[in-house]
Amino acid sequence: MASTLWLLWKLFWKLLGPITTIAILAVLIIIVSLTYSQNAPIPQVRRKNQPVHLLLVLGSGGHTTEMFSMLKNIPLDPTLYTYRTYVVSSGDNFSAEKAREFEADFLEKSNILSENYTIVTIPRARRVHQSYWTAPFSTIHCLWACFEVLLGRYPGQKRLPPRYLSPQPDLILTNGPAVGLCIVIAAKIIRFCEFVSRWMSGSSSRPAVSRLRTMFVESWARVSGLSTTGVLLLPLADVFLVQWRSLAGRQAWPGMKKTQYAGWAVLPSPGGKQRIKDVHE
Amino acid sequence: MKVCLVTVGATASFVKLVRQVLSEPFLASLKQHNYTHLLVQYGKDGKPVMDEFLENNPEGSEALHGIGIGGFDFKPSMTPSIMMTVHNPAKNQEQGLMISHAGTGSILEGLRAGVTLVVVPNTDLADNHQEQLAIELDKTGHAVNSSVEDITSAVEKAESKRNEKPGTHGSQGETEVQVSGAMADQLATLD
Repeated sequence: MASTLWLLWKLFWKLLGPITTIAILAVLIIIVSLTYSQNAPIPQVRRKNQPVHLLLVLGSGGHTTEMFSMLKNIPLDPTLYTYRTYVVSSGDNFSAEKAREFEADFLEKSNILSENYTIVTIPRARRVHQSYWTAPFSTIHCLWACFEVLLGRYPGQKRLPPRYLSPQPDLILTNGPAVGLCIVIAAKIIRFCEFVSRWMSGSSSRPAVSRLRTMFVESWARVSGLSTTGVLLLPLADVFLVQWRSLAGRQAWPGMKKTQYAGWAVLPSPGGKQRIKDVHE
Repeated sequence: MKVCLVTVGATASFVKLVRQVLSEPFLASLKQHNYTHLLVQYGKDGKPVMDEFLENNPEGSEALHGIGIGGFDFKPSMTPSIMMTVHNPAKNQEQGLMISHAGTGSILEGLRAGVTLVVVPNTDLADNHQEQLAIELDKTGHAVNSSVEDITSAVEKAESKRNEKPGTHGSQGETEVQVSGAMADQLATLD
C-alpha cells in the first residue's frame, strides 16, 4: 500500500513538469491568438448585395427590452441584414414573443417579405437558484448548443436559404446575457480552428469572407462600471460599445481593442428626428 | 385630465413606494399641482395595501383630495398606461408624471414616450447600478432622482424642471462611433 502511494507520488512529480509546461503554453497561445484576433484587419472581400446573416442573442427581460429598443433606434436595416437568427434561452417566452413582435411590427413595415428569420431555443447556462456545483455542467451543455447553432446543426434549427453560402452567421450581436458569452466563446473557437486549418493547408494567403464577427453593446444601465459579462468579453468581442463616456477606452490588457463610446444606442438622441416616432400606436 | 402613473415593476416587491404614494401629503401635493388621477401598478405584494386604502377611503372621502385612484398588479404592456401621462390635446390630456421603480425597461419606455419622469431606486435590492443610473439621469435632466421618503418633494421638483430641456448627453453627434456603422464595418464589404 505504502509503496503504491510512493510510486504515485514519484509519478506526480515526474508529470508536474510537463503539465505545467503545457498549461503555460496553452495560456500563452490563448493570449497571443486573442491579441492577434482583435488586431488583425478584416479582409475586405465581401461583395455588395451579398446576403448577410445576423445572429442576435436575447436573454431575460431587461436585456431583451434594451436589444429591441436599440434595433428600433438604429434602425436595423432588413435589406442589409437579410436573415436574422434569434437565440433565446429555454423558458424565456418573453424574449421569443418580443422577437416575433419586432419582426412583424417593425421589419414588416419596410415591405420586405418576412419569414427571413428564425428563433432558436437553447438550454440555459445557469438556471436561477441553480447550485454552483452543477452549473459548470449546464454551462458546457449550453456551450455545446452554441456550437451547434453557429454551425447550423442545432436540432430543429431552420435551414438557411441556399443563397447563403455558409450556415455560419456573418455577425453576432449581444448585449449582456450569459448565453451571449457562450455564443462568443464558441464563435472564437470555431474561428481559431478555421484559422489553424487554413494555415496548415497553406491557403492562408488567399483572404476569405470573414464570418462570426462579434459585437457587444454594454447595457445602458451600466454607468460607471462594466457588467461581469462585459469584463469577460473585453478580450473576446471584436467590437465593444458602451453608452456612457466614463466606460470608454477600457481594454483587457495593453495592445487590445478599447471600448468605444456610442452614445445612447437605446434611445433617440434628444431633439432627434426619430423622437417618439413609434410609440403612438 | 392630468395623470400620475406609479410603477413598481414585475419582479421585486416595492410596497414602501405603494404606501408612500397613497399617503396624505403625497395626494395633497398632487392636488396642488392639478392632478386628476393616480394610477398605481402595485405588483403582487402591493395589492393588500391598495385594497385596504380604497376600503378605508371610499370615493368622495376627504383623504383622496378629489383625485381618482386606480390600480392593477401587473400588465404585460405598460404602454397604454404610460401614454396616459403624456400631453395629448386630442384626448384632453395634460403632461402628467411617471414615477418609476428605476427598472431599465420602464425608464426606457417612459423616456421614449416623452414622459416627465421621477425614478425611485429600490434600495432593498442588491444591484446598486440602478441607483447610479438614476443619479446620472438626474444630472442630465432626463429624470428626477428621489428616495421613497422624499417622493412628495420630487413631484415639486419634476413640476418645476418640466420645462427645462434635457442635456445633450448621449446625442449621436459627440460619440466616437455609431452602432449601425460599427456593425457594417465588421462585414468588410467591398466598395
